[in-house]
Amino acid sequence: MPEQPGIDAYAAYLPAYVLADNRLDATTPPRPGGPARGVAAFDEDTVTMAVEALRHVAAATPPGRQLLFATTNAPYEAKTSAGVAHEALGLDPATAAVDLRGHRSGATALDLVVRAGATAALADLRTTRPGAPDELAQGDAAVGLVGGGPAAAALLARAGRTAEVLERWRLPGERHDRVWDERFTAEVLAAAGLDAARHALAEAALDAVDTVVVSSSNPRAAAALRRALRGDGRDATTERATGFTGAAHPGLLLAAALDEARPGQTILLLSATEGADAFVFRVGDGVRAARGGPSVRDQLAARQPLGYGRYLRWRGLLDVQGPARPAAPAPASPPMRRRAGWKYRLEGSRCDACGAVTTPPGRACAACGIAATPDATGKVSLRERTARVVSVTRDHLTTMPEPEVAVVVADVDGGGRLSAYATDVAPADVTVGMAMTPTFRRLWTTDAIHNYFWKLRPTPQDAPPGKDTTDGQ
Amino acid sequence: MASRRTVNDVAIVAMGCTPFRDHWHASADDLLVDAVRECVGSTPALTLDDVDAFWVGTQGSGMSGQTLARPLRLTGKPVTRVENYCATGSEAFRNAAYAVASGAYDMVMATGVEKLKDSSYSGLSAVYPPADGTDVDWTAPAGFSLLVPAYQRAYGVDARGMRDALTRVAVKNHANGARNERAQFRKAVTAETVENSPRVAGPLGVMDCSGVSDGAAAAVLVRAEDAHRYTDRPVYLRGMGFVAGSGAGLATDGYDFTTFPEVVAAARQAYEQAGVTDPATQISLAEVHDCFTPTEVVLMEDLGFSERGKAWRDILDGRYDLDGALPVNTDGGLKSFGHPIGATGLRMMFECFTQLRGEAGSRQVPDARLAVAQNLGGQPGSCVAFVAVLGNER
Repeated sequence: MPEQPGIDAYAAYLPAYVLADNRLDATTPPRPGGPARGVAAFDEDTVTMAVEALRHVAAATPPGRQLLFATTNAPYEAKTSAGVAHEALGLDPATAAVDLRGHRSGATALDLVVRAGATAALADLRTTRPGAPDELAQGDAAVGLVGGGPAAAALLARAGRTAEVLERWRLPGERHDRVWDERFTAEVLAAAGLDAARHALAEAALDAVDTVVVSSSNPRAAAALRRALRGDGRDATTERATGFTGAAHPGLLLAAALDEARPGQTILLLSATEGADAFVFRVGDGVRAARGGPSVRDQLAARQPLGYGRYLRWRGLLDVQGPARPAAPAPASPPMRRRAGWKYRLEGSRCDACGAVTTPPGRACAACGIAATPDATGKVSLRERTARVVSVTRDHLTTMPEPEVAVVVADVDGGGRLSAYATDVAPADVTVGMAMTPTFRRLWTTDAIHNYFWKLRPTPQDAPPGKDTTDGQ
Repeated sequence: MASRRTVNDVAIVAMGCTPFRDHWHASADDLLVDAVRECVGSTPALTLDDVDAFWVGTQGSGMSGQTLARPLRLTGKPVTRVENYCATGSEAFRNAAYAVASGAYDMVMATGVEKLKDSSYSGLSAVYPPADGTDVDWTAPAGFSLLVPAYQRAYGVDARGMRDALTRVAVKNHANGARNERAQFRKAVTAETVENSPRVAGPLGVMDCSGVSDGAAAAVLVRAEDAHRYTDRPVYLRGMGFVAGSGAGLATDGYDFTTFPEVVAAARQAYEQAGVTDPATQISLAEVHDCFTPTEVVLMEDLGFSERGKAWRDILDGRYDLDGALPVNTDGGLKSFGHPIGATGLRMMFECFTQLRGEAGSRQVPDARLAVAQNLGGQPGSCVAFVAVLGNER
């Protein structure tokens, strides 16, 4: 148990794409100011987004604590997804890794962060049937939260209410939630939410807070609760740009609030789904330094618009003829385990004799050929470094759900070379000399095995040289 | 460290090469039998029984020496199957040459075969061992297309100049292939056809890529002093180099994608053994690995035919045309023949053999005396490379 319950560090990850128009045969511009949703790229899933959210804040998770992964959309059944993130984050083996599932899992993970000092990724990827009324109101995002101290926010009080109600559900193997008439479930969730909020505020001995943040799987309930609790609506504005991001949503809205809150202010976070969870926080003195990566606002501003056809293809909702080319090979378990440092953490080997970096790591140095004993080979992590494109091509026969993808060979600042897929960038925009940053992605899935590895995405232009801009610390 | 000419000189006394085609109705076995029959049948003094040992190169059309022993029903003979990426055919030749040069055998045969058209894919279908899944799933054209932006940047070649050079390679090789009955494609193509072909990787279109075909080829090798027992026009192996790259070009920084260092090293060995000091003027013709058009551009420099940064210009000036100063890929190259992996290296040898014997008909290079056969596999930054110098004088 932490000495002082609270949140010590946080980071939000919003995918690079925004979908604002889901009309199949649009001939006119979309409705201005309409809802938009964040869209994870075809090479992202909840695990890769979790790693991106946590990569700059989770390293200090002490042994004996837990890494929690909360989602409604895990890449594997039966296999623990948090284990993949644990490996990619390089956490101590004595740190447990566990998945929490379901719409309420995000609020539960937050509770365990705050009260048990856990580290958590709240990540979700939401897919409705094309044309569903709420298609633009569901979105993809991840949030990383680290407990163990109150640098970002101290917990003043909390309250929870469990309410079994058939609201949003899907059977194993199904892709889209089924939804009960929301007028009915809104009533149940709003009642549970108000009850939890009032108890938490009473326990914190507060009549009012500076900021009210409401997250709900039911938009009617969310609106009713925001009105009742006199929220200023900034949470609703964020939600209108991201969509409801499932298990990630309470964390995402809290992160957006922390981004703009001043130390000492109070925040009521209320999550109303499958019951309700209310938290009252006092913003910590270290809130600015507690954020990893860019703010929610900055990430929203940096997103690229995405066409509906591309979105449908990425999600597998539009089956498009690919090239006459066999599927990329599935990885095998023993080599993945043997080379976990490379595969999950992008660790090359540094030669003791000449200092050159070899990738993938090997016993003999690629530059001087001198072979080291297995234990003597120095490991060097390349994932936080900038890599510069040496040459680039565009694969028009890609098996990925795109007409073409860029593939680059890039040299890492400080040594090392990567052959990698470029991502989050139009292939034609990748040029020799371009600065790029590693990002954890799912390369492909073959024979029911997800193949995770690192790709390169352009380093934002305003980034200081050699510094990864996703690192806000 | 040494790479020397063999103590005993080696000569090729007979060769065979099937047409390279979509051989829908022939198996790898059939193609090998055809190539070996043509090879043995071309020389009256030769029978298959005279051959003491065999090599067969194939990347994926068979396992073990039985790939050759079974279709030919060879009895009591050693057969070695070799594989070395796209230089597999050359590797069969190289090992066979060493075996006869060593004195262990008096007569050996190198064969190569590939049956690519039985898969439903237009491309290679290699099977790799289980791995960690971190390698880029390169297509071959994607890997080789990395040469283009790097070359342009290194030598300040603009997009139009580079495109013209690539196009010229394709047009030239198809024009040569149009004169060759054994080629898969026997039709000249226009620059417009090349440049309007569908994109495959980077700036490369379908017409920047070699074809995909089935084929087989075979060569009989003896020690040079024995050659005239079988033919009055033997072709001599004057020098030979082979390098399996360390892969450093992809594994650490430094390599710039404007050259194949492995080819440069292999060529140095071959030229030294052959006494070639100025390849640009001494070599009569060359068969090179034009798997993709930029490969041929870079190879002109790696083989010492053009100065660094000047190959694209020399190509546009017609230096490597059939009637140019140093004709390259006189038979049509991989562009016209396609690339049945195990057969390609020996198909290159077959053209050198034909030219050096003065039997190339309308493709004949006048007064051909020294020929280069250059074959490579892998991708820029991580490849295997073979270079041989062949001559009609010992």
